[in-house]
Amino acid sequence: MRSGTVPSAAYDDVPYTRGGTVERTDVGALVRSAAGGDAAAWKAIVEGLGPLVWSVVRAHRLSDADAHEVYQTVWFRFAQNLGRIREPEKTGAWLASTARHECLKVLRNARRLTLTDDPRLLDRVSEDGTPEQSLLEAEEAAAQSERVRRMWQEFEELGDRCRQLLRVLIASPPPSYQEVSAALGIAVGSIGPLRQRCLRRLRARLEARGAM
Amino acid sequence: MNGTDGADGVRDGRDGGPDDGGSGRPAGTAEPAGIGAEIEADLLEEELRQAAAVLDPLPPVLLQAAVDAYALHRLDAVVAELTFDSLVDALPVRGAEDPPRMLTFSAGEVTVDVEVSAHGLMGQLLPPRPARIEVLGGPRPGSSLTADDLGRFTGAAPPSGPFALRLRTGGDVIETEWLRT
Repeated sequence: MRSGTVPSAAYDDVPYTRGGTVERTDVGALVRSAAGGDAAAWKAIVEGLGPLVWSVVRAHRLSDADAHEVYQTVWFRFAQNLGRIREPEKTGAWLASTARHECLKVLRNARRLTLTDDPRLLDRVSEDGTPEQSLLEAEEAAAQSERVRRMWQEFEELGDRCRQLLRVLIASPPPSYQEVSAALGIAVGSIGPLRQRCLRRLRARLEARGAM
Repeated sequence: MNGTDGADGVRDGRDGGPDDGGSGRPAGTAEPAGIGAEIEADLLEEELRQAAAVLDPLPPVLLQAAVDAYALHRLDAVVAELTFDSLVDALPVRGAEDPPRMLTFSAGEVTVDVEVSAHGLMGQLLPPRPARIEVLGGPRPGSSLTADDLGRFTGAAPPSGPFALRLRTGGDVIETEWLRT
């Protein structure tokens, strides 16, 4: 359905993985600068950790509207508390944990719960994110986009636990295990083994479909 | 490891201990095959990361919203933290289809009780005192309310979404912690 619009060529120029990378060791310094009035430092934090917050929200399978509202709430609260963050170097974990708790509130509030199956919402997201669609012409690109689409489909059909863990792990830049732990409420020590098994499971599904 | 991992897989809902026997060895002592599996896992994860960047990226509008949120950073405001939320702390009311959301925020001596329903917003500032109140939904200026001498205030329900109150009383500025209504 959407295979014709998947910009696989965008691999080489994905705006959310380039230019905004926050070195994890610098986050503390950036937070202190932003608290002192440095807007550029704030922007660097947003670019470096925004994708992590988005991944946490998506891992909880919120509707598009809920996802947008939770994402904003997390950043509004972070801005509000900027000068009071006790451990600025752990800002990623703070954001991930805040996002998780807001997601759980949404899920608890069942009357709001809708899944992301609404094709209009999915279309809206993909329209937002894919300005490079015109780059898609070569046959190679089409084959690549088919592979991407299949991989995503198999990923979506993994069990909830694996899908949730992997969705957070594949934030870009990759989150630390402390951040993943804060995002999902699981022990740091269990992430590595679980990750291995979930990726094995995904690989097995892809192989079964002849996609590897 | 044995080529049938997909079959036993991970059982969802269980804690992920290394219960598939023999796979729990520390990475530092991995056999060559273990290193190969590790690299394979890294490659697959990276490929999935690229797929996410294409098919489920952070929408630009949200990136911008978070950049703009910097305007909410204020040095002069005291933040009143959420200390009670009926969504989390209260049992559901039997038969009530759409019960009001009861919220309590606290900052030192000051308490702000807020009730949000489909019909409107009401609340009280304690200890009782008058205040000018701004109902915020984001970085832009919000609608205004007034708390009377007993600290009571009422207003139209805030739109669904991020929400905070900024209260000015005496020389103080108090902001309730951002949450989602």
